[in-house]
Amino acid sequence: MVLEIKGLRVRYGVGEVVRGLDLEIAKGECVGLVGESGCGKTTVGLSITRLIPERKGTISSGRILLEGQDLLTLDHESLRKVRGKKVSYVFQEPSSSLNPVFTIYEQLKEALPGRGATDDDAVISDLLKSVGLAKIAGKKNIYPHELSGGMQQRVMIAMAIVPRPDLLVLDEPTTALDVTVQNQILDLIMELKNKIGLSVLFISHDLRTIFRLADRVAVMYAGRIIEEGPRKRIVAQPGHPYTVGLIDSIPSFEHRKKRFDAIEGRAPLFSDLPQGCKFHPRCKFKIDKCVHAEPELEELSDGHVSRCIRAKGLIANGAIKGS
Amino acid sequence: MELLKVVNLKKVFPKTKEPAVNGVDFSILKGEVLGLVGESGCGKSTLAKCMLRLINAQEGNILYKDRDLLKILPKDMHRMRKDLQIIFQDPYTSLDPRMRIGDILEEVFIIHHSFLRGRRKVKVIEILEMVGLGETYLKRLPSELSGGERQRVGIARSLATDPEFIICDEPISSLDISVQAQILNLLMDLQKRKNLTYLFISHDLGVIASICDRVIVMQAGNFVERGLCEDIFRKPKHDYTKNLLKSSSLLS
Repeated sequence: MVLEIKGLRVRYGVGEVVRGLDLEIAKGECVGLVGESGCGKTTVGLSITRLIPERKGTISSGRILLEGQDLLTLDHESLRKVRGKKVSYVFQEPSSSLNPVFTIYEQLKEALPGRGATDDDAVISDLLKSVGLAKIAGKKNIYPHELSGGMQQRVMIAMAIVPRPDLLVLDEPTTALDVTVQNQILDLIMELKNKIGLSVLFISHDLRTIFRLADRVAVMYAGRIIEEGPRKRIVAQPGHPYTVGLIDSIPSFEHRKKRFDAIEGRAPLFSDLPQGCKFHPRCKFKIDKCVHAEPELEELSDGHVSRCIRAKGLIANGAIKGS
Repeated sequence: MELLKVVNLKKVFPKTKEPAVNGVDFSILKGEVLGLVGESGCGKSTLAKCMLRLINAQEGNILYKDRDLLKILPKDMHRMRKDLQIIFQDPYTSLDPRMRIGDILEEVFIIHHSFLRGRRKVKVIEILEMVGLGETYLKRLPSELSGGERQRVGIARSLATDPEFIICDEPISSLDISVQAQILNLLMDLQKRKNLTYLFISHDLGVIASICDRVIVMQAGNFVERGLCEDIFRKPKHDYTKNLLKSSSLLS
């Protein structure tokens, strides 16, 4: 395993936002972490290299092993060697990730491992070509504002893969982009993943993008994983009412002029989590038992788990199914 | 019945050569949902703003109720705005952060001299309930609301004047997929209930497909294809439409 997260708990002022989370990513694997705003998915990504601001929250327990090394026990100096080198990030908004007063060239140069080498120019040109930016390869005077959002995101990806990281964390990398550009960026990530064997943690609220890219899917709700399994299996047969709701929310031509079977209400606040199954106030299938105790992850089939006590029954009688 | 007709509308921004909207013609029928799809920068929002005179077009006519919106006096346009509304994309920047939700909505009535003071509060609550919120939201600030709730306030504000035509300018793009579905449901319900006419702008053909009757595909200031939703999706003719279609179907 490249990454193993074990029993991760993160506490913010409002309460515990990651409440005991396990996640593994194998070499060359892409794991999609999906959930609504405020479910804690970004916090999981940031926890890996301890990027959660101290004034905001702390990791209260758990272990995060990168190639066997526990990142949560490292001192700051050792962490610096991991951040942006062994683990690199691409965030949602490329325009706020790039520094507006430095050229693209200068910023890429800074990301190169052996800085100041004579062949920097050639390396940067090749790098830009590899992320589909041949147009600006060799041009040293381009500033971020001269590029479109999609091009800026390509630059961010270039910067992230330069150090050949063990793990690439992508946090909503395409959400701010147009559909056509989203596709191009997803294609690029796929291509890089296959070519250089990247391990990827892909975080998004959009199951469409997750289904496009991920080998394995983990669905997060109120700080915990509520369903996890191979993508193909979850597409064919989701195992949690929440996942079904996310799938049914995807707009498409087939859904034409019909009301969406949307998940009503909003995700619970961490300061005020419900008793029992955290999803029960919004769940169409809740029974009395759901209110009492939070379910454990239960295996539905090999490698496919769900945190719903009714999952097996609902699947058997066809109440929840893939689209 | 034709509700609104746009003729040869043209908008060129200063210091640019290519027009943002390049002399487009179309009409919207009463009670339909017309989709306008295209990528960032294709001119779709500019077109929307020109239609409501939020920015000024250089050429063209916008015919509504036998009058040309581009030619009428500002005070007449002000009155027209009651019938012609818009919902903006970003509910974070389109609500005044210092105003309470109740005041944001009441302001609409004040601007349009709609009701006497005593009636306004009741009307505000009515409108809030129409969009699935309620009295408890009156005293809240936008910062206390989730993205979906804010967009509901945005919708409530546009409904407050009881319009017959609403431009929905990417009303769900900044929301979570699950909340998108809720808002689309709400927009569809309201459209049916009040027989509203929408111009629905989006870059996502999936969204367009789920709500629109007819579609116009826009690229670089021009309309490249238009037709019934079924035809555009089943038999797209223009390469650009095919490309858009490929992108959104790959995603789903």
